[in-house]
Amino acid sequence: MRKGNQGDRRAAWIAATGAVVLFAVLSFPCNYWLSLTMPRHQAIQLPAMLLIGLALGRVARKVNVKDLSWGLALLLLAMGSLIFWMLPRSIDLAVIHPWFNRIMHVHMVATGFAIAITLRNMPFELKIAFPGMLAGMLIATGASLRAFTILLCSSFTIEQQHETGMWLMLIGVAVFLGTAVFFIRRLGRE
Amino acid sequence: MTAFNPEDRGRHKKLILTWSITFLVLFPLLIVLGLLMRMNQGEVIKVDNATFYSYMTLHGLGMAGVLFSMAWAAVFYLVGTRYVKLNIGLGYAVFLLVVIGSVGLAVATLIGKFAAGWYMLYPLPFIGATWKAWTTGLAIISLIIMGVAWLIGCLHVVYALSREYGGFTNLIGWQYLGKKPPEKELPPLALIATISLVPGILAFIAGAAMLVMYLLQHLEPSLSFDALVQKNLMFFFGHTLVNITMYCGVGWLYTLLPEFTGREWKLNKLTVYAWNATFFFIVFAYFHHLYMDFVQPTGLQIAGQLASYFSAIPATAVTMFGVIAQLYRSKVKWGVIPTAFLLGVAGWAIGGFAAVVDSTISINKVLHNTLWVPAHFHTYMLMGVVLLILAFLYYLGSTEKNRDLSPKAGFGFWLFVAGAYGFLLMFYLGGMESIPRRFSEYASSGIAHTHDTGALLAKVAALFVALVLIGLLMMYGALFNGLLKKDQAPAK
Ligand code: HEM
Repeated sequence: MRKGNQGDRRAAWIAATGAVVLFAVLSFPCNYWLSLTMPRHQAIQLPAMLLIGLALGRVARKVNVKDLSWGLALLLLAMGSLIFWMLPRSIDLAVIHPWFNRIMHVHMVATGFAIAITLRNMPFELKIAFPGMLAGMLIATGASLRAFTILLCSSFTIEQQHETGMWLMLIGVAVFLGTAVFFIRRLGRE
Repeated sequence: MTAFNPEDRGRHKKLILTWSITFLVLFPLLIVLGLLMRMNQGEVIKVDNATFYSYMTLHGLGMAGVLFSMAWAAVFYLVGTRYVKLNIGLGYAVFLLVVIGSVGLAVATLIGKFAAGWYMLYPLPFIGATWKAWTTGLAIISLIIMGVAWLIGCLHVVYALSREYGGFTNLIGWQYLGKKPPEKELPPLALIATISLVPGILAFIAGAAMLVMYLLQHLEPSLSFDALVQKNLMFFFGHTLVNITMYCGVGWLYTLLPEFTGREWKLNKLTVYAWNATFFFIVFAYFHHLYMDFVQPTGLQIAGQLASYFSAIPATAVTMFGVIAQLYRSKVKWGVIPTAFLLGVAGWAIGGFAAVVDSTISINKVLHNTLWVPAHFHTYMLMGVVLLILAFLYYLGSTEKNRDLSPKAGFGFWLFVAGAYGFLLMFYLGGMESIPRRFSEYASSGIAHTHDTGALLAKVAALFVALVLIGLLMMYGALFNGLLKKDQAPAK
């Protein structure tokens, strides 16, 4: 038992260190390359930061938000944070000022972390509704980016904007399918 | 087996009373909007176009929302007092969110004159709108709030049921398809609730994506989306919502009617096959709303035709036979509850038949966008779903010893039914005479026949609607009496 615990702890440390290293790589040496085009920035860098946060939250098993009211508040805040970093103005600022971009990185990691430590303790309904709504939002945002004929972020080109739209829609569909699979499997397991 | 204590039941009873009374207050108000529309079309009163269409929008959205909410609440009550424990707090949260959404819709339509129709066909809300821009935003946000509430409500019921009955495949009855009899009986309500609510969950998520796009275009008017995709998403959301409202009602029919006939109504292979067909095809049935959209791929049109038949016919057929088997030579006492159940199923069949006629492509070419369309869906909503809801409400307010109504309420019931069928007949006749739907008045059509016939039918329909309202009010005495009686033990 003890050995198992130690093993778990070591795995957690390795995962956490990996996440920090990945964060540093994506945020510093790769930042220039990732900020060069809109799809890289919005469909790689931003989700990668979110995933790092999610992974960190997953290994930090002792940090938990169990209270429903706090959980709901945090999830709403997380949704708001995601929306904020999809706004054209935020994207422009992030591309122009590397320090602002770094705020985005930290914020997204924190958002992912908050989602992970909250969602695992929330009722099943929220575990489905949250990613479900997130998928809806991603698909809608992607469709909007594809539909817009006006350049939204002055740091990028219209073709990149359309391409980003397509990627966001694909990510949205993937989140939707993932949620559907999780839903059916969870029901199946009960 | 879940154990229920009286306290739990009492709390469920309070919640369902809250829903029921809200329904009983809102329903006649929404009918009054319908009456005003018919009176305007009949040239009895004169309201301007902006007001007419805002009434039409609130009436359509309100009825669809109120009926689905009430149907969900009834399923929540029956499931939560008979089969599994449900979270009452969540029930109240859903109620609160639905109320917030409804107030938003009422403000947007009655004050702001938002008038894009119940399915807000894209890009109508954004082009040449006669209403103020804020009302579009408010209507969209209100619908999103209601959608989230319904999504969470449906997830809760399905999840709780799946924990009790051993998973998803058991919930859709697959244990009945093998050679061995199932280890644990699945109540029909659990099967039908799952078959209804799971597609609902998918539809609400699709609806969320669509509504967010609407919201984005509202915030940034230079945006524009693919109208065909939007129409597909909207009808997947809207059609599924209305469709599953009916099926929820059928769910409690299977549960409550046997208490009057004294015969069991259990699941068997055939019922399971039929409802599984509904489960699979229901998500494609909405394609029949797009028959006139020539850009929709032909394959989907054919799929829509088939799905419309296969989603409705097997489940309707087994339910009809089930009802006949329940009633034939049974010693049922024909009080208002079994009568409402029987007539509710008849309304479902009659409206369903008219719907299948309309969803046949060659006929749809003629009937499309005539009054035949409101005729068929009003039949299965008003004479189907509403009667099933009234049966449930009477059941809720009755005791095992006293299931009967006062004679006045009984008379009110028959007046309601007669008035409703008269009102529906005028819609059907209008459809057969090619009177277009959604015309605030018929003079502007410029066709004498359309004007004369349309206005006459509308005038007669208004008289029938008055009967509907009088009948309903006569029933209210008995209904409220039963529902609000303090000393009454909650229904079984
Ligand atoms: C006695 C009760 C009712 C009356 C008098 C009534 C009346 C009307 C009228 C006059 C219209 C406009 C028809 C047209 O010219 O296109 C209409 C539309 C509609 N009604 Fe009703 N109705 C009643 C019950 C219901 C019920 C129970 C539902 C349940 C869902 C419902 C849902 C709708 C919808 C969705 C529309 C279409 C709105 C649109 O086109 O945007 N109605 N109703």
